[in-house]
Order: sequence, then C-alpha cells, then structure tokens
Amino acid sequence: MNAGWALSVLLSAAPQSIPTRPEELRFDELRFDVPDPARYRHELPNGVAVYVAPDSTFPLISIRIQLRQGSYLEPEHKVGLAGLTGSLLRSGGTERLDPAAFDEEAEFLAAGISAFGGDSRAGANLDCITPVLDQSMDLFFEMLRHPRFDEARLTVEKENVLEAMRQRNDEPGDILAREWDWLLEGEKFYRSRRMTKDHMDAIARGDLVVFHEKYWRPENMVVTVSGDVDPAKILVKLDTYLSNWPGEGAPADWPPPQPTLEPRPGAYHVEKDIPQGTVVLGHSVPRWSDWDNPERAALQIMNHILGGSGFTSRITKRIRSDEGLAYDAGSSLGFDALGPGSFTVSFQSKNDTVALATEIALEEIERIRTEPAGDEEIAIAKASLIETFPRRFESAAQIAGIYAGDAFIGRSHDYWKSWRDQVRAVTADDVLRVARKYLRPDAIVFLVVGKWEEIAPGDANGRASMKDLFGGEVTHLPLRDPLTLKVLP
Amino acid sequence: MKRAGFGILSLLICAITDGSEVAKVPVETFELSNGMKFLAVVRPELATVSAGWVARVGSANERPGITGMSHFFEHMMFKGSRTLGTRNIERDLQIVEEQERLQDQMRAVYREQRERYRLGEIGDPFADDARPPELVELQRRFDALTEEQRELMVKDEYDRIYTAAGASGLNAFTSEDVTVYFLTVPANKLELWFWMESDRLLSPVFREFYSERDVVHEERRLRTESTPTGEFDEVFDAMFWQSHPYSWPVVGWPSDLRSYSLAQAREYFETYYAPGNLTAALVGNFDLEEARALAERYFGRLPAKEPAPDVVTLEMDPRAEKRMVAECDCQPQVELRYHSVPFRHRDSYALEVLAGLLNGRSGRLYKSLVLERGLAADVAASQDSRKYAGAFSLYAEARGGASPEDLERALLEEVRRIVDEPIPERELQKVKNQITASAYRQLSGGFHLLLQLLLYDGLGDWEYLNHWAETTLAVTDSDVKRAAERYLDPEERTVGLYYREREGVKP
Repeated sequence: MNAGWALSVLLSAAPQSIPTRPEELRFDELRFDVPDPARYRHELPNGVAVYVAPDSTFPLISIRIQLRQGSYLEPEHKVGLAGLTGSLLRSGGTERLDPAAFDEEAEFLAAGISAFGGDSRAGANLDCITPVLDQSMDLFFEMLRHPRFDEARLTVEKENVLEAMRQRNDEPGDILAREWDWLLEGEKFYRSRRMTKDHMDAIARGDLVVFHEKYWRPENMVVTVSGDVDPAKILVKLDTYLSNWPGEGAPADWPPPQPTLEPRPGAYHVEKDIPQGTVVLGHSVPRWSDWDNPERAALQIMNHILGGSGFTSRITKRIRSDEGLAYDAGSSLGFDALGPGSFTVSFQSKNDTVALATEIALEEIERIRTEPAGDEEIAIAKASLIETFPRRFESAAQIAGIYAGDAFIGRSHDYWKSWRDQVRAVTADDVLRVARKYLRPDAIVFLVVGKWEEIAPGDANGRASMKDLFGGEVTHLPLRDPLTLKVLP
Repeated sequence: MKRAGFGILSLLICAITDGSEVAKVPVETFELSNGMKFLAVVRPELATVSAGWVARVGSANERPGITGMSHFFEHMMFKGSRTLGTRNIERDLQIVEEQERLQDQMRAVYREQRERYRLGEIGDPFADDARPPELVELQRRFDALTEEQRELMVKDEYDRIYTAAGASGLNAFTSEDVTVYFLTVPANKLELWFWMESDRLLSPVFREFYSERDVVHEERRLRTESTPTGEFDEVFDAMFWQSHPYSWPVVGWPSDLRSYSLAQAREYFETYYAPGNLTAALVGNFDLEEARALAERYFGRLPAKEPAPDVVTLEMDPRAEKRMVAECDCQPQVELRYHSVPFRHRDSYALEVLAGLLNGRSGRLYKSLVLERGLAADVAASQDSRKYAGAFSLYAEARGGASPEDLERALLEEVRRIVDEPIPERELQKVKNQITASAYRQLSGGFHLLLQLLLYDGLGDWEYLNHWAETTLAVTDSDVKRAAERYLDPEERTVGLYYREREGVKP
C-alpha cells in the first residue's frame, strides 16, 4: 500500500491484568504521514489531471471522471437538461452499439459503468475486474466520446422521470428538502430549482447532443484511477482515449454563479397527515474559499460539540438521549467551495413534541455562542478529528479521491499536511469566537413537515408550544402540484 | 492477501475468468472455552481494525407481548455498565430498582386501562389524555427519580470514550435473525475494543430503559408510520408469514413497546447474550496471537451458559393465494412474494441465479416490463434467505396508466418463460460473470468484510463467504428452471397491490 503507516504496535509489553477503567489502557503510538501528493498526480499531454493510486491487493480497478460543469449551464426553460444528459449518456447506447447491446456488453463484462449530471459536477465511473480492463475501458470511453442518445431510450427515461416526479409529495423528507432549498436560495437558483413537466417536454434529443458536445469534454475533467494498474501503462491508455476528442471546445464557465436571494428568517410549515414532524432549522454560511483559514478547524470542533458527533454531542444528547424526543437528532455544518454552505439542525419528533425539541435545539445554539465549551468537550473533539484523520487515506481509492477532489475545487494539496496542526491549535476562545461569528440566531429559518393541529399546541405536559417560538408566527407553505410545481388549489 | 492467478480468456469463450480460482478470504478462527467464537482477518495494509460481534438473536426469537425486544436491546447495550455511565453505581442501581417498582405499579394500571379499552370506555389505552390520576402521580415520582439518576450519570460515556479514542462508525443493527454491533478503531487501540465490549457484556446496566423506549417509538414513527408504504409493509409481512415469528416487525408492535419490564429484558439478555450464542470478528491491522490472548483475557471472563433455545415453529405450507389491496401516497406498485428457502439451502443458489437473470438493465424484467411493454418504471427480483425460512419476491412500480394488476400479469409471464423456455447459455454466463466479479468486490474494504462475516456466521456459518460463489457458478439452467417451477407456484403467491390514494392530495 501507498500510504505511509509506521505502526509500531502490539506485542509490546501488554499488561496481563485488566485495568478497572479504559482510561488506564496504554497504547503504542500510531504514526501517520500524509501521503505525498506528487506520487499520485500526473498530467496528460492535453493538460488533464490524472490521479493514479495503484494497489494490487485485489484484481479490481476503479476509474472516476469528474467534470467541472452542471445544471448551472442549462437554459432556464430546460431545467433538468444536465441531469438527463448524464443519464442518457449511460442508457442511450453508442454510435456503434444500440442501447440494449451496450447494456448487454457492460453486464456481460460485469463492469459497473455509470454517468450522471449534477448541479456543479458531472461524472462517469467505471468499476471492473482486471481480466476485462481493456474491454471495459473501450466500452466506457466509447460511451463518453460517441454516445448515441437514442431517441426511444430518451422517451423511456422521460416517462420514468415523470413517474419519479409524481412521488414528490409522498415522502415527508422529499417535501422538506425541496422547500428548504427554496427558502434558502429561491425557486430559480440553479441548485435549488426543480424540473417540471414543461421543462422536460421542452428538452429534445438535440439538446442532449449539444450539451454533451459542449461540456462533456477533457477540458473539464479530473480523472482518478485506483486499484490493480501499472501507472505508466494506464496513463498511456488514458492519453489515447482522451486526446483527439471530437469537436472543438473550451473549459466550461467556472465557478458556478452565486445565489441572490436573501432568505427570510422565521417558521415555515407544510401540512402532511403523519404522526411525526420532520424538521430542519438553520441558515446559510458563506462560501468557503480560503482553505488556510484556521477558523475552519475551530468550526468543525464547534459543530462536533454542538451536534455533529452523535451521542457525544449536546443536541443529540439532550433531544434523543435525555428526553427521548427523537431517534435522529444532530447538527451539520457544510463548507462549500462553489457556493454558500449551510448550518442546519435536523430531527424528527412526534408532532406534539416538535416544539419542545426545537426549543432545546435553539437553547443549545445559544449556549455555544455565549458560554465557552468545556475543556473535556474540546479535548474529545480534537482527539476524534485527529485520530480518525488517517482513515481518510486508508485505501488507494480514498487517496486518489481526496487529491482529485482538491484539484476539482482548486484547493492546494498542502491543505492536508497542516490540517491536524490546525485542529491541535484550536482553543476554547476560538470555538466561542467562531460560534458567535458564524451562527446567527436572528437568521434562523425553521421548517417542519407534519400535522399542524398537533404540532402547534405542543406537548400534553405544557413544556413547549409553537407559540413560544419565532414570535409565535408561522408561514404555512402550500403543497405543490408534483408535475407543475404550481401551488395546489 | 495472495492474488488469484487469472487465466484471461477471450470474451468469445464467454467466461471472464477461467473459473479455476474464485476469490477466497483467509479467515483464522478460534473459540474460547465458554463457547464464544472469533473470526480474524489480518490486513497489514490498513491503519485500522474493524471489529464487531453478533448475537444470534432477532425478532424471530420473540413472542407476542415482547415483540421488538431484540431491537430494543440493541439500544440498551449502549447505556453503560457498572463501571461506565455513572459516578455512583450503588445509588444508580437502587434508582433502577425503585423505578422498576413504580413501573410495576404503572403496568398494573395499564392492565386496567386495557380492560377499559376492551369495554369501549376509552380509546387508545396509552394516550396521555386517558391517564387516570394515579398514573400521572406514578409518572411524577418516576420522573423525580430520573432527575436524581441523571445527576449521578456520566451520559453516554460508552460513546464518548470511543469517540475520544478515534473510533468511528460505532453502531449496531437488528434483523429478524441477528443483532450485530460494530465499529472501527485505530490499529493501535484494539485492546480498547476488548475492554469496552467485554465490559458491556459482563455487567450491563439497563439504565434509561423507559426513556429509550420513547426513542424506539420515534424510530418506529420515522421508519414505519411516516413513510408512504411502511405500515402496509407490516400488513404484508403479517399476511405472508402464517405460523412463523417472521410475521411481526423487528421494531415490534407499539403496545408491546409500551409494556415490557426490566425483568423480561434481563431474562432475554441471560438467554441470548451468553458467550456460546456470540461470534466476534476482527478485520484489519493486528497481530493474531495478541488478539487471541486479548480475547482469552477479556471475553474469557464471561460465564458459559446453556445453549439458547431454537426457534421451533416452522412456517406452514401455503394453502391459498393471498392478496392485499392498499391505498397510499405512493406510486401504483405490486409485490409478488413466494415462500422459498432459507440461508444455505441447496436450492438457494439456483434462486440467486434466477434473481440474476431477472435483474439488471439487460435483465428480463427491465427488458420486458420497462423497455418493451412500457408498463413499469422500476422492477426488481430478490431471494431473501433468512435463517429459518426464505422468500422470493418480484416487484414492479407502474409507469403511465399501467395498473398493479397489469404489472402482476407481466411478472407472472416472465416467471412462466423461465419455466417453459430454454435459458440461453450466454444469458446464464452473464449472471455468472457478475457473480465472479462480486466475489472479488466483497473482499475489498475491511468494514464491509467484517459485516459479512458477522452476518453469515449469525445466520449459520461464515464459510458461506468463501463457498457461495463457487456453488453458484455450478448452477445449471435446469437447476434454475426446477427452482422456479417448485417455488414460484402461482397458486401459492402472496400479492400486495398498492394504489395511489384517490385524488385530493390532502391540503
């Protein structure tokens, strides 16, 4: 393996008795040095970055291609074009093979071949076993270079998408995700907007062909290869596949645009006749581009303590473990290099205890902004982040994936070298300072999907009601028609 | 791990490897004198050890009145021990007992409540607003003790110690047959795992028993009551399994969740968490001899006990077709389910191949129902091999105007074709190529391998991991046809038909 483990472990004089408490156990040091990125990074003659992590433990190979493009490039009246292009790329056959023949060949080779178009990232993956690497790569790159976008498969795909749309109001979590995106970034922004039937009807095969020609190009690619390969040989092969790409092209506009909506804080509700309210509350945080900023480590520790580390964190402990109000409760702090990230607390609780759980979450947000975290909490968070760090580099696929991820968002590989030192340097003052700076109680948007007549009054013991929260006001959001997304009568 | 020698054959000959070498995992095994079994896979290239253990107990071992107990246990095992979780173990244990006496009195009141419910005097006997004053008073006294206990508690100490030590993925799951506990620790901290796991098996304290019940209730609301088909899935299972305890849900019936006692839980623990009913597994970077010594030192402390009772109720032979008609906020869909065979049954391999022929983009169901006939948006087939019995399922979700009955007919036709028509050699080879590839894929990733070892040993024998591919590759077309004919008898099917709730997406 490639990673630099220096494991001087075990068999050293382990005591023969059992200590009364686990803290009395002594462990040998586990040294870990971040693998040298230069050993993995390569560049093809045409400039495409390729990260190769060879590992011949098993006869398995993975190739992942990420592209800097996405739905932000599609016309406003054809929302969903980027996604459809990705799925049809895979299911629509190639110039040589009709869709059924392509599927048959891929499955006969037992090769996992996939493609997708996302909001700010498209991608294609190949997973195969060594004996069929050549045939699998041929097929994979034939798909990427010469897709057919078969008309009949497009019809099937559209009908399937339509069926998926019909389910938009079935799962409370789906309603929650859609309305949350809209509350934070509006219905028009590229990563929060949703495809309607009209959008879909406006998309024709020719649109997919053009989208592919313009954006599914080597200029936008970062490639990773991991597994049973010889790096020199695989680079030669990749060069053959990725040079002389058909057509002319330039890198896609990058990065994607930024949202303009100012979210309106307060409580929002969508009605659904279910016994449990599903809740998200929080706000956006600024786009993260300065990866040397030590506030990031302090923020991660802050979130670890607040609600990001399961039972060890405050929100989970109070809402789930102390009060038994939810199965799943916690917070997350997402950093995003391409647009605003978000700070959120999520949980699901029976309708009449939604208010109580919300009150607890808000109290904890306030507490971490006003009181310094305990030394023990900070020590646990630091130890956890530092000790689990080597695990991110454990496999060849992970190492290649991490460095390719850096290349994709334009972060220096050196970020990883100093990361643990940044965590070690964080103090209780730092945690308090970043909590005050980044958590904004006044900006909190609260959204619940559930049965309002049970949610509003709160619990039978009168411990909390929605009247006590968000100024006692709530905006009831209407359910949308699943195909048009227009307000239902 | 030593690489298998591959003979790379031309695709024209069909097989993607020469089949002489199917991937195998070198597993070391040993057993302690108390009957606890260990499986070990040393992977020096890793920086971690993934470790876990399985208790051979699940909802199938329950009975009416204590349904959901196995899953509830999975939660209770994180509540600490005599050493972990409290600053004052004497008082803590007293509180647990005092609370239990109050709960006994509350259960007596609920017995009367059920009587009133049977007489039609009240609705839900557990509803907050149906509580008589004495119950409110008992609850108040109970809550006061909880407050006192909390002052002494070191909350979730078990989780905190692991977290501070750099453990990750600490979790557990419960099925009808097994309960599995697992995590990943840094390679230098394997002894911590031995300490922590043997401690919670040696002296567990089921504190917070009754508040955790509320958490489980929320879990039930989340997974079953607030999902489009969750409650119908329960109806369908209860209808499919006639005599076997697989008929009740793993999470348990709500009224049972409200009724168990600590005494019942302790009895369950004594019976099913005895060392002879457990298998532990380690996958990662460790020294085998050291692990063996640690296993002896830590888990050797668990006293041996009588073997756990077997599940004796056999599923009755199906006698009639059964149909469920459901309306929900869901796509029109259908499931056809047949009684088949359990884990490692000789016919289970042919049924896996049958599922392989039906599944996938180039598989029969997708080709026919999705592409050619345009009836379905999604299709699937699966063989569910449980410990005591099994089921084979066909599933389709409608597209356009297709009704669940249309889908049912189309699925039945595909079963008929398997039985009546020859299976092309290349089609069978395709499924076998996928089996060869997945036999390798299952080996990569220490954590995934750990879960498979524990699951397979919990169901019967971990060696299935090294046998299934070989055995499945030997399946012939006539084996598949025979299995389809024998188990997918149209007159013995159970059918679930789901319709979208009639108009009015409710405001």
